[in-house]
Amino acid sequence: MKLGGANSLTQDTAAADPSPAIEVEDLEKRYGDFAAVRGLSFSIRPGEVVGFLGPNGAGKTTTMRILTGFIPATNGVARIAGHDIFSDALNARRCVGYLPETPPLYPEMTPASYVDFVARLKDVPRKERRDAVERALERCGLVEVRNREIRQLSKGFRQRVGLAQAIVHEPAVLVLDEPTVGLDPIQIREIRGLIRDLAATGRQTVILSTHILAEVDAICQRVILIDRGRMALDEPLAELTGGGRSLEEVFTKVMTRDETHESAEDAA
Amino acid sequence: MRHIGTIASRELKSLFVSPVAYVVLTLWSVIAGTFFLASLLGFNERLMRAQQFQAFQAISEMNLNDHLIEPFIGSMWVILLFLLPAITMGLVASEKANGTDELLLTSPVTIWEIVFGKFFAGAGFVVLMSAIVAFFPAILFYYGEPELGKTLAGLLALLLVSFSYVAIGVFASSVTRNQLIAFVLTLVLLLIIGMMLPFIVDISLSGAGPSSESGFAEAIRWLSTGSHIDRMLQGLIDTSDLAYYAITSAGFLLLAKTVIESSRWR
Repeated sequence: MKLGGANSLTQDTAAADPSPAIEVEDLEKRYGDFAAVRGLSFSIRPGEVVGFLGPNGAGKTTTMRILTGFIPATNGVARIAGHDIFSDALNARRCVGYLPETPPLYPEMTPASYVDFVARLKDVPRKERRDAVERALERCGLVEVRNREIRQLSKGFRQRVGLAQAIVHEPAVLVLDEPTVGLDPIQIREIRGLIRDLAATGRQTVILSTHILAEVDAICQRVILIDRGRMALDEPLAELTGGGRSLEEVFTKVMTRDETHESAEDAA
Repeated sequence: MRHIGTIASRELKSLFVSPVAYVVLTLWSVIAGTFFLASLLGFNERLMRAQQFQAFQAISEMNLNDHLIEPFIGSMWVILLFLLPAITMGLVASEKANGTDELLLTSPVTIWEIVFGKFFAGAGFVVLMSAIVAFFPAILFYYGEPELGKTLAGLLALLLVSFSYVAIGVFASSVTRNQLIAFVLTLVLLLIIGMMLPFIVDISLSGAGPSSESGFAEAIRWLSTGSHIDRMLQGLIDTSDLAYYAITSAGFLLLAKTVIESSRWR
């Protein structure tokens, strides 16, 4: 622990609210004049499963890419398990498992050799590597196809290989960018079940982006809704859907309210 | 640092499941065999003719190193310029095309480790290519008595040149996601650096007469591979030549690292 003696007291008292798994303050990403993310702040506790919602182009993927260290932020701070993603990048990346929108697969490899390769990249200790790879393959239901070429696998299996890759080093934080996009209903159910199982261990923080509201309903405990790079809503799912409202109603309401708000601003 | 081996060995394995590696190795072996046979027959022919005319002076000057091995390795170097781009074109470009750069760059891996991993994968491949070339002079040791040191110097020259060309290939592959563009860019860079630089200097100085040979022209000439490999093929191992290979390799790897790093910020 890097925390000094002075901090240990606050740590004890904050037992109910342990140090956040993901901490984001005033995050901003600009591409020239265009701001993809503007002033995003949130914090996620360990073990939380958060649905990251928003229309296309809202900045979900950009935010996730910043969190995983793929692209740098223009402004703001982000910490993964206490490690600053910029100044302490390698340690922060060790704590993250990331499944990008298109799984980063080498088509000529087999799932077994690919997951082993990723385990080496992610610094899984040599002695544990074999077991870690086996566990990831097993959890993602890849044992029967472990020695097939990835290029021959169906889209659902590829998505599972992508997921196995993300969890092989048992990261504290799992970042999943639209994990069920383009899958058929059965595959979607399987992948969701898998994510729920991962979350059920309780130690895994999951942040997943999607625009399928049913998915959030099925897996998440908390919803973060962003729109045009800004935070639009951040609430526990139970409160949002309390009183018999469906998530869809809430979503539409927030989005339209935002729009009228914006157009009023423009008019002024 | 341990990631370098991880990345390099994965890359090499992938190279050997792709048809490109086998096409290149087949062409390389066939061309090497043909060239070797041609130079062997030519050598024999000249020797016979010299004997026919009783030209003992000429016979005494002929030897396997200067008249067979050296031109053979020299011509394989020219073939290398055309075949190597096919091997290096995908090193970084295919990562971007596959989306696997997102995996590498979000792993606890430094960009230097990625660049060196790619470089060593290519280097491993050219070691194999050089070994194929080495096989042919090795035959001569069975039937004749070439000079070992001179032969090894020639092979070392080919290997070092290949390493610096792999570095150029890594750089060219890192500027694009399109393998064809990477191929053409590598080929053009290799042709310019390998062969054309002296001609460019000559053409630009052609009107100015011999007195205008400036330090700049000298420097440009030094950048060309041609003179460095020639001297080493003759068995001269000069620090200046070794420095040349080290500097080109390091320079282009640094460029590749810079390109990959800056692509993040866009």
